[in-house]
Amino acid sequence: MKTRSNVGWTFVLPALLVLGLVGLIPLITVVNYSFFEIFILDSRFWVGTEWYSEIISSGRFWASFGRSTLFSALILTIQIPLGIAIALCIPQRKFWVGVSLCVVALPLLVPWNMIPSLWLSLLNPDTGLLGRILPAFGWPSDWKFSVVPTWLVIIVMDVWHWTSLVVILCYSALTTVPAAHYQAAAIDGAGPWQVFRFIQLPKLYNVLLMAILLRFMDSFMIYTEAFPINAGGPNGATMFLAVDLGEEIKAFNYGPSAARSVLYFMIVLTVAWMFSKAQGKLDDVPTEKAA
Amino acid sequence: MLIRALPFLKTTALLAFMVFTCLPLVQLTLLSFTATLATPNMDVGSLTLGNYRGIWTDPNLRSAFLNSIAYVLINICITIPVAIPAAYAFSRISFLGDKHLFLAFIAFRITPPVVLTLPIFQLFSALGIVNSTFGIALAHCLFNVPISIWILQGFISAVPKEMDETAFIDGYSRPMFIWKFLLPQIASGVAVTAFFCFMFSWVEVVFARILTTTNGKPISMAINALFGFQTDIGLVMAVTLASMLPGVVLLFSMRNHLSRGFKIGRV
Repeated sequence: MKTRSNVGWTFVLPALLVLGLVGLIPLITVVNYSFFEIFILDSRFWVGTEWYSEIISSGRFWASFGRSTLFSALILTIQIPLGIAIALCIPQRKFWVGVSLCVVALPLLVPWNMIPSLWLSLLNPDTGLLGRILPAFGWPSDWKFSVVPTWLVIIVMDVWHWTSLVVILCYSALTTVPAAHYQAAAIDGAGPWQVFRFIQLPKLYNVLLMAILLRFMDSFMIYTEAFPINAGGPNGATMFLAVDLGEEIKAFNYGPSAARSVLYFMIVLTVAWMFSKAQGKLDDVPTEKAA
Repeated sequence: MLIRALPFLKTTALLAFMVFTCLPLVQLTLLSFTATLATPNMDVGSLTLGNYRGIWTDPNLRSAFLNSIAYVLINICITIPVAIPAAYAFSRISFLGDKHLFLAFIAFRITPPVVLTLPIFQLFSALGIVNSTFGIALAHCLFNVPISIWILQGFISAVPKEMDETAFIDGYSRPMFIWKFLLPQIASGVAVTAFFCFMFSWVEVVFARILTTTNGKPISMAINALFGFQTDIGLVMAVTLASMLPGVVLLFSMRNHLSRGFKIGRV
C-alpha cells in the first residue's frame, strides 16, 4: 500500500519545473502560434482555427498520416516479436549474456544522423558490402527510384537501429522470473511454448506495453532516419508526418506548422492515454498470482 | 525432435541477429581505415590510419568531442537529482493527480522533438543559452527526465517498504531517508539510469542541430559539417566509430547490471 499524502507534490516539483521549462512552455507557445498567421514573429494576426480546418481537409495531411500509420504498424509487427525472440535466445551463462547484450546494443550508440549514411554506404554498388552482392539477387542498384526498395531500406534500417532496445527491455523483464517458476513448470511437464505463454509472457506485459509505446511513437514520427535516405521520395512515397512537418518548418510557415505540431501532440496524448487504460485493465487481472 | 533442437536453433537465431547487427558496423570500420580521397602520396582505396590522424589534427572535431562529453555530463547532473525524488514519490506516495501527472511526463518523453523545436529555440535564445552545451543539456531533459523517473521508479519499488517505516520510526525525514538509506540501495539503478541518459543524449540530433548554429557543436553536428562537395567518407566513418567508443566502454562496464535485469516500473 502506498501512503496517501499530497506531500508527493513537493517531491515531483523539481522534475515538474524542468519539464515545465523545456516541455510545457514550448508546448503552450506552439498552441498559441497555431491560431495565428505569422509573417515575422513580431507581426502576426489572429486566424482562429483556419490552419486546423485547412490541414484536416487537405489530402496531404491524411496521406502522410496513412503512410506513418502503415510504417509504424510494419515496424511494430517486426520489432516486437523479433525483440522478444532474441531476448529469449540470449544464453543463460553469465559471460555470454554480457557479450550478447553488448553486441546487440551497439546500434543504439551510433549518432542518429549517421545511420542513413551508414546504410547508404553499405548499399553503395561500388564500395558497399551489400551493394556489391545484392544486384546478383535481382536487387535494383537504383533502388531510390522505386517505392518498395526505399521502404525496405528504411524498415530494415529502423529494425537494425531499434530492435536492440526491445531486446534489452524484454531481457531485463525476463530476468525477474524466479527460477522456482521454471522448476515447477518442468515438474508439471510444460513444454517451451507453455513456459513462454504462462510464465514468461505475463512477466513481459508491463515492459512490452512500454516498448510498444516507445517504438510506436518514435517510428510514427520518424525523421532523422527517413529524410536523408530519400528526402520523402520517390514521388512522396516516404513523406512521413514528421518529414512533412520538417519541410513546413523549413519553409517558415510558422502558423500551419504549429497547428500540425498540435495535432501530432494530440495523437501522442491519445495513444499514451490508451496505453495507461490498457495497463489499468491489466492491473485488474491477477497475472502474477496465476503464474 | 524440435524441443531437442531448440538450444541449437536459439544460438543460430542469436548469431544471425548479431551478424545483422554487425554488418553495417563492419562496413563502417573498413571504410574508416580506407583512404577515400585521393592525395598526392596515397591512392583511393588503400589502407591507412590517416583518417584517425585527421580527427586528432582537426580542432573542430576535438572540441566537438569535448562539447558532447560536457553536455551529456551536465544533462545527467540535472536529470538524476530531479528524477530521484520524483521516482520516490511515484513509487511510494499516492497523491492527488499522481496517475495523470505520470502520464503527462511520459507524454513528454514520446513527443517528437521536431514538434517543439521552434519554441524551444525561441525560449532558449531569450534565455541566452543557444549555442551552448548547457542549452542542449537542458533540452535533452525533455526526454531524459521522464525515462529516468520511469527506470528509477522500478528500482525504488523493489526496495522493501519496511525500510522506509523503520527509518521513519528512528526519526529520519523522507529526504534524509532518500539520501542515507535509499540511495545506497538503488546505486546500481542510478548507474543504469545514467547510462540510459547518456545513450539517448549522446546520439540525439534534432535539438542538437537547432540549438548549435555557430558554436558548441556536438560530434553529430561536427560530422554533418564534414559533408560537402567532396566528402571524405573515410574520415566521416572514422569520426563515427570514434564517437561510439565512449558508449562501448560504458556499455561494457554496465553489462552485468543490464544482464541482471534492471527493474522496470509501469506506465
